[in-house]
Amino acid sequence: MKPHRRKKLGIILFITAGLSVAVGFTAYALKQNINMFYTPTQVAEGEVGAGQHFRIGGMVKTGTVLDAPDSLKVNFVTTDFVSDVPIQYEGILPDLFREGQGIVAEGEMDAAGVFQASRVLAKHDENFMSPEVKAALDAAGASADNHMPAGTN
Amino acid sequence: MWVWFSKLGSPKWFYELSGKWLPWLITAMVIFMTIGLVWGLLFLPPDYQQGFTSRILIVHVAVAGTSLAFFPLMFVAGTITLVWRMKLADMVAKNAAILGAWFSFITLATGSLWGSVMWGTWWEWTDSRLVSMLFQLFLLLGVISLRSALEDSDTAAKACALLSIVGCINVVIIKYSVEWWNTLHQVSSPVNMDASSPNGPEFWIATLIMIVAVYLFLSVSLILSTRNEILERERKSQWVQDLVLKS
Repeated sequence: MKPHRRKKLGIILFITAGLSVAVGFTAYALKQNINMFYTPTQVAEGEVGAGQHFRIGGMVKTGTVLDAPDSLKVNFVTTDFVSDVPIQYEGILPDLFREGQGIVAEGEMDAAGVFQASRVLAKHDENFMSPEVKAALDAAGASADNHMPAGTN
Repeated sequence: MWVWFSKLGSPKWFYELSGKWLPWLITAMVIFMTIGLVWGLLFLPPDYQQGFTSRILIVHVAVAGTSLAFFPLMFVAGTITLVWRMKLADMVAKNAAILGAWFSFITLATGSLWGSVMWGTWWEWTDSRLVSMLFQLFLLLGVISLRSALEDSDTAAKACALLSIVGCINVVIIKYSVEWWNTLHQVSSPVNMDASSPNGPEFWIATLIMIVAVYLFLSVSLILSTRNEILERERKSQWVQDLVLKS
């Protein structure tokens, strides 16, 4: 390779490396700001300041959804399987909202430790499958559960 | 290899060779696109939670994945232009930016539609996958406007190569945003060979066909627009005038 071409290629590689390092450090420094939500465990550990408006993300704990019959009020518990945070919301939920489903809620903690949500979004996971495969998996899972001691699931 | 490399840089040689490739590429594209779209939009099984809405993945995943190829392509083309002064590479880079902007836009539009149905929102400024993809669209629009604003083609090539480096870093961020940070967007669905597991062949075969179809579409579009560019830039040369007289 001719020297002037080698020099140009060197400059391009140098700029590439320099910019990558700069972006890498910036992203690392802004890590918590780039995260969309806090997990229930982060909230339990006090990472969120009092009165702060924030988003919380987790699963809707099975058996905790309480729909008020005469209004749009709904109470449920969100969990990351380590910590739980109760959530109260009034409004229309996304169609995908259900027990065991991932959600992201936006709002504030009240004095009683209940998260008062102004918005609830549904987060679907990466697993796509047809109803037939899901039914087969559930059937296999249910028979496997029978062999486990009570309370482990 | 170097002979081949320098030959490829000659617009005339590329024009003739790509003319021979095009019919095959277009035939393959039509076949893959037809199979992929008919299978994906009419026969793909519904997802157990999302129902038939999940069929939008056929378009969204294929276009989104392909849109990440543009900045690496432009970076390679830009480097070749700056280091080896190959005119053809500059033409490819110029047209790739325009195509890439369209791909990014379609990715954002189909994703927005999907999100409005499944997540309950069209757009979230706090989701790093969404915002980094929007950043890619803006970068590509920046490259396009930079090129039309700078009259000196040498300066334009330098500026665009620099933006391409930023674009390549952003491609890495787009790809890993869902793993490095928590987002509303799902993480990438892993391919599963087992038909009785999530993400089994019933979903990914049709998606794979669409990804091949979209890459073929990219190649055909890029070759066609580069051929136009060649004719325009070389319009005073003898071979182009011969070509025009012949047709």
